[in-house]
Amino acid sequence: MVPHEISPKIGQHYVDALRARFGSAILNEDWRTSDQVAVTVELNSLPDVVENLYYQQGGWLSSVIGNDERSLNGNFALYYILSMEDTVKSWVMVKALVPPHQPEFPSVTAKIPAAVWYERDVRDLFGLNPIGIPDNRRLTLPDDWPADVHPLRKDAMDYRYRPEPTTDEETFEFINVEGEGIVEVPLGPLHVTSDEPGHFRLYVDGETIMDADYRLFFVHRGMEKLAENRMDYNQIPFLADRICGICGYAHSVAYSTSVEAALGLEVPERAKYIRTILLETERLHSHLLNLGLACHFVGFDTGFMQFFRVREKTMKMAEILTGARKTYGMNLVGGIRRDILKEERQQCLKFIAELRVEVNTLLDILVHTPNLVERTANVGALEPTVARDFSPVGPTVRGSGFTRDTRADHAYCAYGLVPWSVISKTGNDVLSRTLIRAEEWYESAAIVERCLDNMPDGPIMIEGFDYKPHQFALGYVEAPRGEDIHFTMTGDNQKVFRWRPRASSFNNWPGVRYMLRGNLISNAPLIVASIDPCYSCTERVTIIDIRKKKAQVVAYKELERYCRERKHSPLK
Amino acid sequence: MLNLLKEVIKVGEATTKYPLESLDLAPGFRGKPVYNPELCLACAACTTVCPPNALAMDTDTEHGVRTWSLFYGRCIFCGRCEEVCPTGAITLSPDFELAAFNKNDLVVRADFKLLECRVCNRYFAPGKELTYVLALLEQAGLPGPEVAQRRSLLEVCPECKRKCNVESIKRVGVGNPVEVKR
Ligand code: SF4
Ligand code: SF4
Repeated sequence: MVPHEISPKIGQHYVDALRARFGSAILNEDWRTSDQVAVTVELNSLPDVVENLYYQQGGWLSSVIGNDERSLNGNFALYYILSMEDTVKSWVMVKALVPPHQPEFPSVTAKIPAAVWYERDVRDLFGLNPIGIPDNRRLTLPDDWPADVHPLRKDAMDYRYRPEPTTDEETFEFINVEGEGIVEVPLGPLHVTSDEPGHFRLYVDGETIMDADYRLFFVHRGMEKLAENRMDYNQIPFLADRICGICGYAHSVAYSTSVEAALGLEVPERAKYIRTILLETERLHSHLLNLGLACHFVGFDTGFMQFFRVREKTMKMAEILTGARKTYGMNLVGGIRRDILKEERQQCLKFIAELRVEVNTLLDILVHTPNLVERTANVGALEPTVARDFSPVGPTVRGSGFTRDTRADHAYCAYGLVPWSVISKTGNDVLSRTLIRAEEWYESAAIVERCLDNMPDGPIMIEGFDYKPHQFALGYVEAPRGEDIHFTMTGDNQKVFRWRPRASSFNNWPGVRYMLRGNLISNAPLIVASIDPCYSCTERVTIIDIRKKKAQVVAYKELERYCRERKHSPLK
Repeated sequence: MLNLLKEVIKVGEATTKYPLESLDLAPGFRGKPVYNPELCLACAACTTVCPPNALAMDTDTEHGVRTWSLFYGRCIFCGRCEEVCPTGAITLSPDFELAAFNKNDLVVRADFKLLECRVCNRYFAPGKELTYVLALLEQAGLPGPEVAQRRSLLEVCPECKRKCNVESIKRVGVGNPVEVKR
């Protein structure tokens, strides 16, 4: 299947170590690019192989993909994507085939907690049952979706099919935390920070959160099915843009690069620089947005206004570079659609110089606001051990002492061509994550300047290539919230056979439960905001008092007010 | 706090007078696509690439009409239509003020007459597209009689062309009534 002999093979020793340890359970080795290898293993050895790569060989779980390959090889397939970050950085995709007559597989979650959402996702969308998974509840599909319809099976349904809702009541089973004095606090249907949909349940003892549970995916849009059925290769970048309203461009780059990698295409260098400039422009506005929100949540609204005022300049930069306030609509497979002209370049350099002065002033004011440090230090701890188990990404993991950054670990676009540094901190708390964004902002500004200064002349798009069927590879981008990773397999009808985008928040959510534990309920909005989450938008909080065994629904606005003022607890 | 106050005073008013004053847009701003039916060939290149299906082409083979339509409510201002249009019939403008009281005010339509196939008399392609192709050929230096011959060839629908063998295609000569041996 490999179009040409791949060399060098970066990360070969990871595969050799697997062969030495698991012998004949390793069935096949398929190099997709020089640092992406798919290793097919016996289904029963799947958890052990993934565990070996994860804990013994320095892997982190970046994605899990289900695929209906019955038309290709008679089976369903699972791909566990590991970002190998020991001394050698590469990607290993552990592939296992699941026979259709027995649609189940041994769950990896018992060994690696990071797999939990992925396996629930694969179960919902493909009907493949993870045997032994500790948490078997629905994830992606609505709770009243018909049990036997698994949307991503090729023969399951038309992509426009929408079953009638069967109930208006929420039927999701939340975990049951019992104990003397624990109160349950439902949070939602609107999200605590960004007015997005999710239902949180906080279990509190007095004012302290003992545990948390949440139900998200109320706005699952079915983009994967849509892309497979109705879009062609060059329409998907525009759909990928719309995965996120803040960092959509990152997704469109991840998609385009995944197809380019699958086909073995090398885009022109100038296109790589322009993609990098636009990606960092997106980070510039996204980090300012989050810093503004941080002000808002500690009750410092003037700061919020000021950050948003300054952020406007980054939006203008996007407008100059792309013709729209969001860096949307710029990618096609093979390169970029719009060049950067000389005057545009000069205008942007001037903007960045001005922005730097303004952000300096604002950050100085922010860090000297006594409220900020007092409210965020030692709050919402993500312990490094928990981080290691859940594979979080972006500022969330970098705030807990890790230097994981896809831009450095798997340098794509022009990140390997200009100098810059990864920012990481060891406080594990909301403050660390906030300060990381502040410092990263300056790195981003520098990257944009260096790219604008150094980008070579030349074409920005390659054309005249063919789409070979059933080639697959990964595309990845460090979005403002962390790594986005896309898996794409080409089809034989000018459409993708499988496209699985994974946004950064997907890897950050499962760990939030641990970040909330032991904190005051008035800090919950602050903690959730510190991962800068995406839900795709409304929120309800249920607070359950375990002592009084009493549930109470608190409107989000009320909790947000309490977070900001910390007066008049809604629980009293 | 003092610094903040200084900053606030220094900045003064941060907002603009829009909509009383017009907004300052960057050159190349991507707004409402503007359509010129005079130039349009109804070739459907734009409707094929449009990612959100804002553009559509409906063909009524019974009455020989093809309808081009654009619904601004779905448009994402990507400019793919402009990129692929062979004649410049659709171009993006800087206009971003698209609010309307009625959804139907956001739809633009144009009807095109379809050509009848010389063999089976079924409607198959927009007449303008054919004229455009012939004009291109003429411009490329093809002599007049040959252009006329091409025209009669092009006036046969693809299905009939497939059915005809090379010999009978030749017989669809200039101005001759067509007979096809099956
Ligand atoms: S600008 Fe894009 S979305 Fe709008 S009509 Fe053209 S192709 Fe369609
Ligand atoms: S691509 Fe241009 S000529 Fe063809 S249908 Fe669209 S607007 Fe008309």
